[in-house]
Amino acid sequence: MTPTLPEILRGNFMSLAQPQTPDMAGDFMTSRIGVIALLNLLAAQDAERGTAAIVAENAAIESMLQASTTYAVVCPDPANAITPAAIDARNAALRRALIVLHTAVESLGDNDTDRRILALYALMAAGRRLELPPLP
Amino acid sequence: MQIAAYLTRVWRVPVTIEHLARIPGGASRETYRFDATAGGRIRQLILRRDPVGSLLDTDRQIEFEAYRTACGRLPVPEPIAFERDGAELERPFFLMERIDGGIVASPFTAAPFGSHASKIGEAFFRHLGTLAAMDPAPTPLGDILAAPAPYTCWRVALDHWAGVIDADEAHPQPIVRAAIRRLRAHPPPPAQAVRIVHGDYRSGNIIHDGVGGILAILDWEMAHLGDPIEDLGWAFDPIWNHFDDGVVCGMIPRANAIAAWEAASGLTVDPVALRWWSLFNAVKGQAIWTSAAREYRANGCIDPVLGISGWYTARRHDEIIAAQLIAFAEATA
Repeated sequence: MTPTLPEILRGNFMSLAQPQTPDMAGDFMTSRIGVIALLNLLAAQDAERGTAAIVAENAAIESMLQASTTYAVVCPDPANAITPAAIDARNAALRRALIVLHTAVESLGDNDTDRRILALYALMAAGRRLELPPLP
Repeated sequence: MQIAAYLTRVWRVPVTIEHLARIPGGASRETYRFDATAGGRIRQLILRRDPVGSLLDTDRQIEFEAYRTACGRLPVPEPIAFERDGAELERPFFLMERIDGGIVASPFTAAPFGSHASKIGEAFFRHLGTLAAMDPAPTPLGDILAAPAPYTCWRVALDHWAGVIDADEAHPQPIVRAAIRRLRAHPPPPAQAVRIVHGDYRSGNIIHDGVGGILAILDWEMAHLGDPIEDLGWAFDPIWNHFDDGVVCGMIPRANAIAAWEAASGLTVDPVALRWWSLFNAVKGQAIWTSAAREYRANGCIDPVLGISGWYTARRHDEIIAAQLIAFAEATA
């Protein structure tokens, strides 16, 4: 997914490190720092469970593709994905295959498989949830 | 100072600028407040200038003409000047009156309107209904925007935002892709009337006075002509509910909002149309966040507002779309 966690953290560093112009002082900078702090809070969550969520999503999509044998959708070969970037790249390949599968399912009017894919979407989205507390 | 040079030229009187400060929020324009003194008179103004990288690729003239259209009919700041080529300020901009003393609610706060939520909510949806009642043809906005046919409003809108996702997507998004296909397969009824659509009508785009009054409706940059139900679908999106599922925009229950809107607009809310425009608006939101992520990365990840838009809100909208897809499928089975 984009932006990635390293991009967020590097971006926060660059946002704070770059020289500020005089017109950015006051409310603007206060708000900017607040958003950077919020990004850090969410980044902590993603660092704790983000990779596990993508691994689980990959397994769920793979399972869906393999169970849909009546459709000629090729499940991407498992790669030796042990880094977050490689796991994300496999996720992209699996998601592309899932889009192809769902489009085919809709074309055939296969409501049972359609419902299972919609349920999978809900699980995928929940797995990537970032918990944002109400701000003061 | 560039602003002083510009105003001195167009007002034909020496102008001095004081208290220039950038205002937070709004990733699609650089927004500044300042005081301009000319001939002994102080004018409190806002400058909206195109940034180098932007959340939205919109025509700044549309926003200016939208303010001209709404001025006198709805609470909006008076538009002052518009320069498409940027003039002394080098990038396109416009100027408008500044409204001080009000509050803008962050979408990340709970119960931002406190005990005045009901009063603000009634006014908020009444104003939106007033906009929906307006014939756009004789207005400044009607002069520059093409009106779609009632039966093509949905397709024009969906084609636009699906195209944004096509252009800006970096990682495959099966959930929003499924929503786009579902929307195309089950179009809504034709618009009852083609009206001015604000395009970003939500709780964070008003200034309120803290005691139940709306001082100004802002951020008209996505204004267009279309089905007025579209604005309701955006305002009702759970992403703007301020952590309270029982109300819309952190204000009033959905049924009350619809009643206020219908009374002011003279139109009715078809539940089938609203269901379509609600899912559409979740798609539109995801398109905006997809663009935000692209801009964030393209500009070195230094704008945290683009970062949070392209990351947190994108994931939140995936959840919203996934839930709405299940409900949409059940309703259309």
